[in-house]
Amino acid sequence: MTTTFENLGEGDSIDGPKFEVSRESIRLFCDGSLDYNPLHLDDEYMKGSFGKTNFGGIIMHGMNNFGLISRMITDWAYPAGAIHRRLETRWVKPVKPGDTIQPTGIVKSKQVTANSRWVLIDVMVKNQAGEKVATGEAMVEFPN
Amino acid sequence: MAQAEAFETDFWKHANLRKVWDDIVPGVPRKTIPYTLTKAAIELYCKSVGEDHPIYFDEAYARTTRYGGLIAPPSIHILLMFSCTPADDWMRSPGTVNAGQSWSYNIPARPDDVITLQARALDKFIKRERLFVVHDNVFFNQHGDVICSGRGWTIRPE
Repeated sequence: MTTTFENLGEGDSIDGPKFEVSRESIRLFCDGSLDYNPLHLDDEYMKGSFGKTNFGGIIMHGMNNFGLISRMITDWAYPAGAIHRRLETRWVKPVKPGDTIQPTGIVKSKQVTANSRWVLIDVMVKNQAGEKVATGEAMVEFPN
Repeated sequence: MAQAEAFETDFWKHANLRKVWDDIVPGVPRKTIPYTLTKAAIELYCKSVGEDHPIYFDEAYARTTRYGGLIAPPSIHILLMFSCTPADDWMRSPGTVNAGQSWSYNIPARPDDVITLQARALDKFIKRERLFVVHDNVFFNQHGDVICSGRGWTIRPE
């Protein structure tokens, strides 16, 4: 069934793409984003601590999660003629090489305003152990 | 990677020139530089997150959509944040940890757009002994139209 504003309901789910994280995928994200922070590249540097935190090795960019969530939202919105308007995220757990992550979304609410129609979606990314690594909220416009 | 070759990928190189948390003044504009967003740069970014929708790659298909041509994914601001800032920008300080971001999207960026950025630290605070800075960013195209705007929360290296 084609997704429309009318037939969407609270609790409807959206499955995003599974993404296998590797040293190569992290390096590719460095090249794609131009973010070469040594957090994502330098094993020696990552033996150290950051304040109270020791990551124990290189970590994936938090914004790689963001990009995957955004990809899930646009792939869902485009066929419905809808527009990805906002994404807010928070990182809750580092992602490391060897992890497999997957974003998902759950429709939280719908709202009609003076000139358009909006859907709010709770989003999260989980790793292969089912642990949340990122959470957030997206807003999608369904133009009249 | 042609793009990376023209970009200083060693984030240690200018580390001594970058502002530390103490020096960052909320409200003061960051130095920014215009950036021409190429189709190749969009395609490389897409590859890094597995974006495969034809609206980013297939001109003939893209012409049939509401956008009338190729666009970049909304999250292209991830690339633009680094491409529109100079090597001594504090966002590149090694050890900068991203705690979260929120972005609003107005119109898409397109291949060959000349992108400019207006950016500043908006706030800084200490929480559980960690040094936070909130940064505030607006990207424009060559027509002066807002592409997207967003905020990020980073934990600064000590």
